[in-house]
Amino acid sequence: MNVLGAIQAIWLREVMRSVRDRGQLIGGVSRPILWVLILGIGLNPYFRGEIYGEVQFIVPYTYLQFIFPAVITLNMLYTAVQSAVSVIWDREFGFLREILVSPAPRWAVLLGKVLGGATVALFHGLLVLSLAYFVNVPLNVERVLSGLAFMALFAFGVTSFGIVIANRLKTFESFGVFSNAVILPLYFTSASIFPIDPALTRAQTRVVFPEWLVTLVEWNPITYAVDALRGVFINFHQFDPRMGPLVMLGMAVVFFIIALMDFRKA
Amino acid sequence: MPEPSTTPMVSVQNVSKRFGRTLALDGVSLEIDKGETYAILGPNGSGKTTLIHILCTIHGADSGTARIGGYDVRTHSRQARQRLGVVFQEPSVDTRLTVYENLDFHGRIYGVPRRLRRQRIEELLELVELADWRDHLVRALSKGMQRRLEIGRALVHDAELLVLDEPTVGLDAQSRSRMWQHLAELKRLRNLTVLVTTHYIEEVESTDRVCVVDRGKVLTVGTPRELKERHGRSKVRLTTRDASVLRVLSSAEGVLEVRDSNDAPPWTDGDAPKEYVAHIEDGHVAERLLAELGSRLVTFSVEQPTLEDVFLDLTGRGLRDSASGTRDRLAATPRSGGEPIR
Repeated sequence: MNVLGAIQAIWLREVMRSVRDRGQLIGGVSRPILWVLILGIGLNPYFRGEIYGEVQFIVPYTYLQFIFPAVITLNMLYTAVQSAVSVIWDREFGFLREILVSPAPRWAVLLGKVLGGATVALFHGLLVLSLAYFVNVPLNVERVLSGLAFMALFAFGVTSFGIVIANRLKTFESFGVFSNAVILPLYFTSASIFPIDPALTRAQTRVVFPEWLVTLVEWNPITYAVDALRGVFINFHQFDPRMGPLVMLGMAVVFFIIALMDFRKA
Repeated sequence: MPEPSTTPMVSVQNVSKRFGRTLALDGVSLEIDKGETYAILGPNGSGKTTLIHILCTIHGADSGTARIGGYDVRTHSRQARQRLGVVFQEPSVDTRLTVYENLDFHGRIYGVPRRLRRQRIEELLELVELADWRDHLVRALSKGMQRRLEIGRALVHDAELLVLDEPTVGLDAQSRSRMWQHLAELKRLRNLTVLVTTHYIEEVESTDRVCVVDRGKVLTVGTPRELKERHGRSKVRLTTRDASVLRVLSSAEGVLEVRDSNDAPPWTDGDAPKEYVAHIEDGHVAERLLAELGSRLVTFSVEQPTLEDVFLDLTGRGLRDSASGTRDRLAATPRSGGEPIR
């Protein structure tokens, strides 16, 4: 039994389906433009660590540069989670059976699906990355390569996460509601659009920001993905640089295993 | 391990399956030989699909064993699935891929080498008459065409057993007969074993063996002819010149029952010509009756038993009665003027 062939077949199907899905592509292009152009440029002048003349902290980057890696993760997060809709689709329209009666082992089927979704998510991450020139983020080969590696790992983790969710939902409608109800809060609490100053001690941070917010940010795994990408692209870390890769790897492993256990039961 | 020549293609031993309170399968056993076309006939809800799902390893059986080509579907599911081509009751094509891509996906996931895959897909596209549609999205295809695609798809790999679960439900008469033509053609080309479930009686007439199931149990197995001989009753329909024939008819040897044309008990009233239906033991009785009554008859016809009669005899109710669900009956209520239908 050719397991690699089966994984490739499923991967190819996921990619092909999303290439044909114009809506997904439009979203993938419009989202970063909206965030970078409107929000980024609009808030850029206010991002000097200075609020009403009182200097709170200094970040040596423009807001555009600061938000850029976060927009990459946002775009990937949306695409990855949305690609999991194909799980519901397969179940509703019967294609799942075609896969389940095939001799391909379940783990290979799931791996093909996750890799397919992750590939599409990575592509949507690259769409944002292509805007680097316009937001003054200089790129070189080394940055792009290590950035891609992190993005791929992140894409794998969040696609698995999307599949875990999709397995628990019954209808397309609930998935639509869900993806907005989860993606945006995750994104907003990931220190993506406002910095938690690394120069401050833990105690000081909690004085500047309300404690619940700091806790949310620290517990949100997306925080560390954003932080890792910031490290790569603008050489700026808010947290321990080792945390990023570790958390992303943990997400990939844990969510893939949960998805696999769900799938074995199906 | 399996002996190619002696093991049956499918062997089901004493399989039971329970969903909640309903016993969907109750100790079902059956064997299907290689190269046979085997039909499972039964009303909706009789357990046909459950049995198919157990063979396809979608559900596990509560007890009993099922083997395909000698491989236990539970312990050697990979080998069993590799030998199996399935067409499910509900469509299972990806409507967002093209016809060719659907077939190609299937070939890849079953590990068919590229060259063989391409060659076979082209052959099958010709066979199921979809060659002109190969690069169209499946979404654009009619239901009948999608069905044909699914049948072709099930054979992209080296399936030895083709399982079709109610393949003709929802198809118009023309597509249905086309589908059976394609199946016959496929069987001729490849040494296929075909297992088909249906509740359309006319479709099982041409199969090698028929297994009648009802309420999760196998009632009988045999060739369509055997079943009719065993359980069916021939009928003689005749119109008489006068009523006196009835007496002869009722007392003739081999005549089981006489009814009038409305299936009510016959009665003699005057000398008006009248139509009777006599249930008889076999064809010879009809010949004898014709010889005896010939001159006193206006019309005389012999009706061969149908599998519908077989089913009626086995279960005491018609296949169609039980096949139509509550919804159909509700929908029919207004037409019958509000009278409930049995």
